[in-house]
Amino acid sequence: MKGIAWGLKSLRRHRLRTALSLAGIAVAAAMLLDMVMLSGGIDKSFTDLLLGRGYQIRLTPKGTLPFDTEATMAGASGIVAALRRDPAIEAVGAVLGTSLYGRTADSLVTLFGYGIEPDAQSLYQLASGRDLTPGDSSGVVLSEPAARFLGAAVGDTVTLVGRLDPQTVTAGVGRRLVVRGVVRWLYDYRGQPSVGTVLPLMQRLARQPSADRASVILVKVREDAAVPGLAARLRARFPQIEVNSVAELVAHFRERLVYFRQLAYILGSMSLIVAVLLIGTLLTITVNERLGEIATLRAIGVSRATIVRQTLAEGTALTVVGSALGIMLGLFTARYLDAILTSFPGLPAAFSFFVPRADTLGFAALVLLVTGSLAGLYPAWLASRAPIAATLRAEAT
Amino acid sequence: MIPPPLLARELRKDYPMNGETVHALRGVSLRVDAGDYVAIVGPSGSGKSTLLQLLGGIDAPSGGAVEILGTRLGSLSDRELTRLRLTRLGFIFQRFHLLPVLTARENVELPMAEAGVAGRERRARARELLAYVGLDHRADHRATQLSGGEMQRVAIARALANRPALLLADEPTGELDAATGHEILALFRQLNADGTTLVVVTHDERLAAEAGRIIHMLDGTIRD
Repeated sequence: MKGIAWGLKSLRRHRLRTALSLAGIAVAAAMLLDMVMLSGGIDKSFTDLLLGRGYQIRLTPKGTLPFDTEATMAGASGIVAALRRDPAIEAVGAVLGTSLYGRTADSLVTLFGYGIEPDAQSLYQLASGRDLTPGDSSGVVLSEPAARFLGAAVGDTVTLVGRLDPQTVTAGVGRRLVVRGVVRWLYDYRGQPSVGTVLPLMQRLARQPSADRASVILVKVREDAAVPGLAARLRARFPQIEVNSVAELVAHFRERLVYFRQLAYILGSMSLIVAVLLIGTLLTITVNERLGEIATLRAIGVSRATIVRQTLAEGTALTVVGSALGIMLGLFTARYLDAILTSFPGLPAAFSFFVPRADTLGFAALVLLVTGSLAGLYPAWLASRAPIAATLRAEAT
Repeated sequence: MIPPPLLARELRKDYPMNGETVHALRGVSLRVDAGDYVAIVGPSGSGKSTLLQLLGGIDAPSGGAVEILGTRLGSLSDRELTRLRLTRLGFIFQRFHLLPVLTARENVELPMAEAGVAGRERRARARELLAYVGLDHRADHRATQLSGGEMQRVAIARALANRPALLLADEPTGELDAATGHEILALFRQLNADGTTLVVVTHDERLAAEAGRIIHMLDGTIRD
């Protein structure tokens, strides 16, 4: 029966107090975990999202980020052709994003349209049906919400209408298209009704001033290591265009969401402090209650080291159990909070604020374990320094 | 020549209290030989418990010296003194001071575990000691499930765990009723008959009467 086992048994002495302390530590640990997940999760999720199809560079109109505005680039096909000649580049795909309408029995529904190049598309994953093929000017792919809005399934025919004339409120170009497949658009927000056609068709539907326009051009580079150099080279070659690697886009994104990270650090630190205070307070109370017992143990020859080990063991046990509960609670609350945050307009549904990763969980657990154990240092010191004779005299009276 | 288990010379202990110095012990000398059974008696405040704490190395004297088996306590570091208390001395307190979360056996094992005795050996010795104090059937009961007399018997078994050269007891029957106190008295008699050297501080006339030698204390001095 050495210090550690004895320390663990001591926690059973005041079960309700221990349980309440564990609950407090679990809440603090959950909050710390969530904040650690939040601080690193945004970057990770955004990077994963952008690299989902392996395209490492985006070309967009000057001063914009992909799909940030409705701005488009002229001469898209020329740029694409030039890029395809570059030996460092594996694939290039131009995309046009625009608003359009779908005709239902008695009305028009607003849709978001993507014009894509099927042999180099990086915006969706096929869920059912089949993919578009290059030159397929009579086919369309729909997102699940768009299919629902239009009441269409794979093989059905839908009517898409280009921009309305703002003066006459009459439809522009209209096309009847066959639904080839239902797809999951990577960058759509939750419930976004999106449709995709081959790029030339979408350019006609969008009635752009010049037909050869694109919102973004995506570039897949053969070697990841070549990305920064190629991005710099493209920037010099196309000064009228914004060139961003995924790393640079993540940096832009990080700047925009810097307050999230600051909030995460502050709340994370606060929860850590709360956990430390809880453990320290509980152990200090426990040690003060047991001073007589500790003095007796010292009197019969139990060393200061054993007393310290016993107190630290109690703190560590509280931390370990509290952290384990906190991790479970943190993962649960992260899912809930993620659902709230990702429902904000304009955020891709596939995006996640809280990304549970082994290294994140490990880091949070390690920080808690170290600080929780350190929280026991003062009570342990207090316990080991209890004056034996004076305490026994006080106990006897 | 084998040194005596206990030798105290000119022990003094002063306490500061409310700006004044209280002289709790005023030059106490004492020798206890192996196999002795010594009772220290005296009124409250006479200094007998303070003397016991100094003899046990729990407190440091203001003057004088204590030797346990020839080792002068004042020359030891805190760690060495703690080790000496663990291996050479056994303590019995008025309020037993068992660990409530541990069983009777675990309480007895505790000093042996601290001394580094192997698990199997200490479990066997704990069983043996609990049988000696008549509590083998209560070995796996928590301290809180035991009566006062049983707790004191467990405390005695704990004090004997590391085969001490000297057993120091501070009012061992002070918290017990007459009948239970009588059982402890018998146990002390048996302990001494089995060769244990005992120094007992007590108010209990019956317990003192059992001792081979009675030391009367008054105002921090020995009066006999």
